[in-house]
Amino acid sequence: MPERMELPQGALEMLILKAASLGPQHGYGILLRIQQISGERLEILQGSFYTAVYRLERRGWIEGKWGESENNRRAKFYRLTAAGRKQLKSETEKWTDMARVVAAILCAKPEEI
Amino acid sequence: MSLGATLRCWWHAVAHRKRVTAEAEDELRFHEEVYAEDLVRQGLTPAEAARRARLEMGPPETHGERYRSAVGLTIFDELGGDVRFGLRSLVRNPGYSAVAVLSLALGIGATTAMFSLMYAVLLHPFPYAGSDRIMNPALINEDEPSQERWFALWTTQFAEFGKAQGIESLLGFNNKSEVITGKALPEDVLAVYMTENAGQFFGVPPLLGRMIQPSDSAGGGQRVAVLNYRFWRRHFQGARDVIGKTLELDNTVYTIVGVMPQSFAFDDTTGVGDVYLPESTKPRIAANRGVPAFFIPWVKLKREVTAAEANAQLNALVHSFARQNPRVFPTKFHLALQPIVMPYAQNTGRALYLLLAGVVVLLLIGCANCSLLLLARGTARQQELAVRSALGASRWRIVRQLLVEAMTISVTGAALGIVASYWLARLALELERSVFPPESVIRVNLPVLGFSVGLALLSGLLFGLAPALRLSQADATQRGLQSGRRIAGQAGGRRLQPLIAAQIALTLLLLATAGIAANGFLEVMRAPLGYQPKHVMQAGLLMHFENAKDWSAISPLQKRAAFVEQIRQKIADIPGVLSAAVGNDATPPYSGQEQKFQLEGQPDAGDSGPNVRVEFVSPGYFSTLGIPLLQGRVWDEAENERGDGVAIVNAAFAREYLSGSAAVGHQVRMPDLKSTAPLVASSAQSADWREIVGVVGDARNDGVDRPVIPAVYVPFPTFLPPYAQFEIRTQGEPMAYLHSVREAVASVEADEQVSNGADDLEKAIQRDALWSRERLFSILFGFFSGLALVLALVGLFSVVAWSVAQRTAEFGVRLALGASRGHIVWVAARTAAVGVAMGIAVGAATDFLLVRMLSAWMNSSSAGWTSTVEAALLLVVCSAMACGVAARRAAGLRPTEALRYE
Repeated sequence: MPERMELPQGALEMLILKAASLGPQHGYGILLRIQQISGERLEILQGSFYTAVYRLERRGWIEGKWGESENNRRAKFYRLTAAGRKQLKSETEKWTDMARVVAAILCAKPEEI
Repeated sequence: MSLGATLRCWWHAVAHRKRVTAEAEDELRFHEEVYAEDLVRQGLTPAEAARRARLEMGPPETHGERYRSAVGLTIFDELGGDVRFGLRSLVRNPGYSAVAVLSLALGIGATTAMFSLMYAVLLHPFPYAGSDRIMNPALINEDEPSQERWFALWTTQFAEFGKAQGIESLLGFNNKSEVITGKALPEDVLAVYMTENAGQFFGVPPLLGRMIQPSDSAGGGQRVAVLNYRFWRRHFQGARDVIGKTLELDNTVYTIVGVMPQSFAFDDTTGVGDVYLPESTKPRIAANRGVPAFFIPWVKLKREVTAAEANAQLNALVHSFARQNPRVFPTKFHLALQPIVMPYAQNTGRALYLLLAGVVVLLLIGCANCSLLLLARGTARQQELAVRSALGASRWRIVRQLLVEAMTISVTGAALGIVASYWLARLALELERSVFPPESVIRVNLPVLGFSVGLALLSGLLFGLAPALRLSQADATQRGLQSGRRIAGQAGGRRLQPLIAAQIALTLLLLATAGIAANGFLEVMRAPLGYQPKHVMQAGLLMHFENAKDWSAISPLQKRAAFVEQIRQKIADIPGVLSAAVGNDATPPYSGQEQKFQLEGQPDAGDSGPNVRVEFVSPGYFSTLGIPLLQGRVWDEAENERGDGVAIVNAAFAREYLSGSAAVGHQVRMPDLKSTAPLVASSAQSADWREIVGVVGDARNDGVDRPVIPAVYVPFPTFLPPYAQFEIRTQGEPMAYLHSVREAVASVEADEQVSNGADDLEKAIQRDALWSRERLFSILFGFFSGLALVLALVGLFSVVAWSVAQRTAEFGVRLALGASRGHIVWVAARTAAVGVAMGIAVGAATDFLLVRMLSAWMNSSSAGWTSTVEAALLLVVCSAMACGVAARRAAGLRPTEALRYE
């Protein structure tokens, strides 16, 4: 099993937004989705996960509604709002931009400089 | 991130606290269960899965809190907790809380009351739209600037005046006394004729119907009337169906179209009108006699125009009027635009500002009291604070908690204070109605509320900050942990001294100022009037000069004198009337016409000579008013009828101009004592030499507080205006005779009636602006300084009592080692006593500096050391008592018990 990674500051919120953008999902579902997509390589603490979810909800980027889960239990489903969609888009652009720049620097070979 | 979403979220979390917390727990429980199921699917036993899930998620009960902290509500929760804790500790120490809350409630209540009074009287007294831009143009004679003149414009000038650039709108009005005709007894009313733009100029919505409007000038004037509120209550008993009814004034029928609200009392300076009528309906008889119709103008300036600019424009205009008609203007003059609030600002404003300063001092004393209490109690709380700090509370957290507790006290105090202020401000207003504009209505309004709330927060900060900083210091919290029991004398006590000193100094200042105020009032009250106002009534009547037929009957001098004498006789014949006299322009305490005079054997001083007051009276005047005859005699009936040749002077005249020598027998003349005015009749030799036949005592003629001006009394038929005034001495309450007096007048001439101004001379003095101002001022100041004294003493008492409780163990040791009980009392009270001594020293020094300034400002002559010394003595005695009573407990201690005391 590959080594588990810890997330940098602010990245978790972005991931939650992305997961919620794939369709309404409850907290556990969002967590599973992130872990599945990452191939179980991300270490996400339960405490910080819900703190992030609530913060996103307060900012109005996701919206929670109570509904029925797949096994007929009451659960709170989160859905991306229009403001959240805009935020996800700008965050994604910023993130890929930065990753590209950082990668370019890290991959630079001595002869290129 | 949207602010709206955040606020919605917070609102949700605060308003539905329980539900939100429960939902957060539900959500976590759901998570835990699904997770456990997944773990079971991965092969764990259900019990093991549940344990793992619970371990990883933590207890669901903490989840609600995590939610609140995630959305940023921690600070609110903590503050809420502080407030609850503050309230609980208030309830737990009822004595302490009551003193603290009441101290502040009194301070804030008094300050808010004074502020509402100032707001009502000075900042916003009039209901008129844009009232701060409404100006009253006054004509100032530069040769005699103290004599203001009402500025009247002829109708032609008025039109030109209105075209001046800086003026937004111009109101013209004049007052006329009219009679309600068509009733059993005629009744006088004051009619105010106004230009038809009045409704728009004032912008005050009427209570019923409408105000005068421009269309009322159509067709030579619509005969419509708008009623003043008080007149409506008085005459129509406040009937709401009055609109459309008619009112007959001077035999002309007017239709009532509106009633103005209570706050509309136009206008207090020239006379509050009973009815408001369109200017175009005013009878033009005066114009027929060669006097053009005139207006008194009120000017509403444009928003962007300053008073100075408008002043310059209007002065140029008025000077051009003066060039066209030099006769009616003084030789050197200027026009001054005065805000309509000015008369009140001048007379009452200063006293109110001083009172406001006084109540702010009271508030400071209240704050100092709370600070003292908090500090004293804080020493007892050191252990609690130390525990908090040991458990990890930061200094900021402790300061915040202490401040929130202080705020809890101040807000509670403010809430009580606002309620009290409403009552206090009304009390002041009811106490002396005449000091304030009749329009002033005290209400708790937004600015006043804002002021009080601001005051509460500020005072909370003020008295809470010092103890909070002091108690949260690291060494203080350290010491707290060591032991609850203290043996050695505390350095902390000395820190209270500056507060005690400040409190005492401020109280001394208030007491001394109250002393000055009370002395000023006593001076006014004790001033000998020189006449006996008790059971004397003054009543006047205005003759009907508009009605040509009636007027010709009484126009000649002899006929008019006989007419007046006949009425006097009828009044004197009323059963219960002891005597009745004629006294034209002779009703004290303001009486007489200013006239130049000349004494025989002295050159005519011309215009530069001194003036005397000339009063026109019948021979019975002196006995009716109780003015003593000092020398000579009073003229007899025959001399009275002739009018010329005799005069009586007052003692001030004899003293000033005849250097005390026998005044009787000297000759005096008033060269200007004659008139060519159409309505005034004067005798043949009215301006000629008169023999002084008697000297009477000085009766106040320039107000109750100013020295008596030299006066000359002459027989009233010398100079007869179209009115007559009577002084009537009665048996018992004089105003009860008013109806009989009306009937007596009507029995001589059916259409004549007593004017509205009939008044009891004693009541008139009490309503006198100066008298009531002094009284109000000294009552309020006395009240406030009394409160201050009580507050300071309560503060002092609690400090000493507290320190006795704190130092019981120490006193036990001292007693055990042989200290005398007197010594113990002294030790217990020493801190406070030194504070009081410092306070009195500082207060007296400040007072010495302030007193000169204040007396000059208040125009009070009674500045001096006496009130300061008295106040200081009072403070010393009261403080000694407060300290002594509180320290007595220390003297009663038994060493064995005290040593065991925890």
